[in-house]
Amino acid sequence: MTTSRADAERTKACCAAAYGNDAVALVLGESYHPGGLTLTRRLAEVLALRPGQRVVDVAAGPGATARLLAAEHGVTVDGVDLGEPTVERARLAAEDAGLSASVRFHLGDAERLPLPAGAFDAVVCECAFCTFPDKAAAAAEFARVLRPGGRVGITDVTVAEAGLPAELTTLAAWVACIADARTLDEYRELLATAGLRTVHTEAHDGAVARMIDQIDSRVRLLRMTAADRLAAAGVDVDAVLHYAALARRAVADGLIGYALLVAQKP
Amino acid sequence: MALDERRKRDRDEVFLEYTKSICPVCKVVVDAQVNIRNDKVYLRKRCAEHGQFEALVYGDAQAYLASSRFNKPGTIPLAFQTEVRDGCPSDCGLCPEHKQHACLGIVEVNTSCNLDCPICFADSGHQPDGYSITLEQCERMLDVFVEAEGEPEVVMFSGGEPTIHKHILDFVDAAQARPIKVVNLNTNGIRLATDRRFVAALAERNRPGRPVNVYLQFDGFDERTHREIRGRDLRELKRRALDNCAEAGLTVTLVAAIERGLNEHEVGDVVRFGIDHPAVRSVAFQPVTHSGRHLEFDPLTRLTNSDVIELIADQCPDWFRVGDFFPVPCCFPTCRSITYLLVDRKPERTDVVPIPRLINLEEYLDYVSNRVMPDAAVRAALEKLWSASAFMGAEATAHSLEITAAAVPRGTPAPELECAACGIDLPQAVKELDERAFMIVVQDFQDPYTLNVKQLMKCCVEEITPDGRLIPFCAYNSVGYREQVREQMSGVKVADVVPNATELQPVVTDSPYGSKIASNGDGRPAVARDTTNVGRKAVQR
Repeated sequence: MTTSRADAERTKACCAAAYGNDAVALVLGESYHPGGLTLTRRLAEVLALRPGQRVVDVAAGPGATARLLAAEHGVTVDGVDLGEPTVERARLAAEDAGLSASVRFHLGDAERLPLPAGAFDAVVCECAFCTFPDKAAAAAEFARVLRPGGRVGITDVTVAEAGLPAELTTLAAWVACIADARTLDEYRELLATAGLRTVHTEAHDGAVARMIDQIDSRVRLLRMTAADRLAAAGVDVDAVLHYAALARRAVADGLIGYALLVAQKP
Repeated sequence: MALDERRKRDRDEVFLEYTKSICPVCKVVVDAQVNIRNDKVYLRKRCAEHGQFEALVYGDAQAYLASSRFNKPGTIPLAFQTEVRDGCPSDCGLCPEHKQHACLGIVEVNTSCNLDCPICFADSGHQPDGYSITLEQCERMLDVFVEAEGEPEVVMFSGGEPTIHKHILDFVDAAQARPIKVVNLNTNGIRLATDRRFVAALAERNRPGRPVNVYLQFDGFDERTHREIRGRDLRELKRRALDNCAEAGLTVTLVAAIERGLNEHEVGDVVRFGIDHPAVRSVAFQPVTHSGRHLEFDPLTRLTNSDVIELIADQCPDWFRVGDFFPVPCCFPTCRSITYLLVDRKPERTDVVPIPRLINLEEYLDYVSNRVMPDAAVRAALEKLWSASAFMGAEATAHSLEITAAAVPRGTPAPELECAACGIDLPQAVKELDERAFMIVVQDFQDPYTLNVKQLMKCCVEEITPDGRLIPFCAYNSVGYREQVREQMSGVKVADVVPNATELQPVVTDSPYGSKIASNGDGRPAVARDTTNVGRKAVQR
């Protein structure tokens, strides 16, 4: 897929704004990624995080993962997100949870992480890599901030070689995290080019189906309880349900999946 | 030397659990094993006298294993009624080894019924030699329940047919005079259909904070379903009973006994009918319990919870997927699964949203791998909803639905962040949701074939006996306690009921009540001695 720089910037801004939007928060819930905190725990387990280690959470959102990693694994986490209100919300939530000492958030871009080189034991990036317009740059940034032997853990949408139905590749589908998803092999190659060797992969296709169901049912709930205000907020219920149904079918057809992938810096 | 041509072969099953059960014929306690074969879960056991028995206990091995994390530590009741002597299931109950308190207490008020259904786990009917309890006995039974629970959640009056007991309204009053929150009346609906004064009398007792809920047998819509399960076409009576309840403002749970090859095609229609009927707030599906009286069946192909859930998903594909049902952590998670729906009925469409899609239940109800405590108030609300004591119309259930729905936006309520941008106050909006909520329960009771003491020991549905015991429902119906109590109460000898399984036909004969009993006139005591805990050293030398 070729994308002009201007388009890429527009997409990133649109994506970040959408994820920072309260209407989107209502639709997607606390944990924005498929698999929820259960899959986050699995990712932490596979990364074998140890107390005292330093972790970067790229596209940290409101910080649920960062808080979980700090609380359950005793690591310190630097979360990076592109949306200013999102970063502010993440800070507040970490404060509320009494975790400000071990969890910090930075406003920043995955393709230019505002963090020093070689300082981190692990990088996590959940359901976000597929939305980065310049994936090669993001992968290079993962490699840059990791110490030798450090590992990146990614969970993300995968597509089959056959690709997606045309309707799901439009801009409107970007925030649904699928339009620029790649095959597992392509992710592996992107990481390899950045010098990261993939050491472990797992399929979690059910998680993405579950996520689509959740979006569909949250929108239906909002239509039941607050249809007028939902419309006033600019949420087109029929469009959301339409995309959700398309995506659900693509999952059933094996065109969309979800994968956990761990790669290591030599 | 010639090579040995014999080759070792692998077993065709995964050995999963070692447990105890009973012989379905003589009811002697025997060791049992649970195995997975072809993605299904089977319980197998061997009686020294009657041979080997095997039954399907769960149709989906993955779901069976996955549910093991959703197992809530039990609550210790305020009082136990028996002591540990011979071990499970001979000490009921409840004995101090029982792992859970009673969410639901059942008072069977009689053995007579105005029907003689071919399927009846209580073996009731037009019988001259049964019993019915007195008001004093009922009060004592309720007192035992209160003594054990403090403030019991739910009592269910059952039978026989409880509505034909001349003191049934007094029994309801006796329950309401005690700190028991919800009264359930388990009925075939004949009196509700034909006696509007009785319906009005129940409705008078159905007060805010002290609900009376009707638990109405409702197996389907085909005439054949009615004739084979109930022996009569009751369709018109059921309709009138439901309409009378709606008119009087009584909430109803439709209770469908589902049998393989009989009414399994009707589960979707029962759900749709329930959602559309103004009196109905929930549906309970129960694979037919092969205790008491029932049709001939094959234990290896019986229906289980996962089968019923698949049937519902298949027959209402626009509304449900299998994953919308979540195991109940309060009892053993393979015994019962529940889903709640939010229903929006509009002329152009009925929108149905299963609550488990809105909130990641496993993040709250995983008691094994959760290291960080999830939001305690939300977890407590979900525990109340996914419990045997949840009933639509009960205050605790309505309140828990509100807390759950309010937690939907972000997983945890964060008032200061409440949607400034779009101005949607979801917690306020969901306050009205109780009216739209609908519950579906799938419950597979154990029978003498499927009985597994592992499940029995955490049962939270108890039969309250006139002599003041709380006996787990499946023990009461399968182990021999029902026969023991009936014999004590009626003074007439009652033989142990044996399942009407195809393979047992050569060894069974008819009981006076329509069920089957061993044809050799087995003279063993009704409650068998535990032959597992033999009180001997493991190796005799």
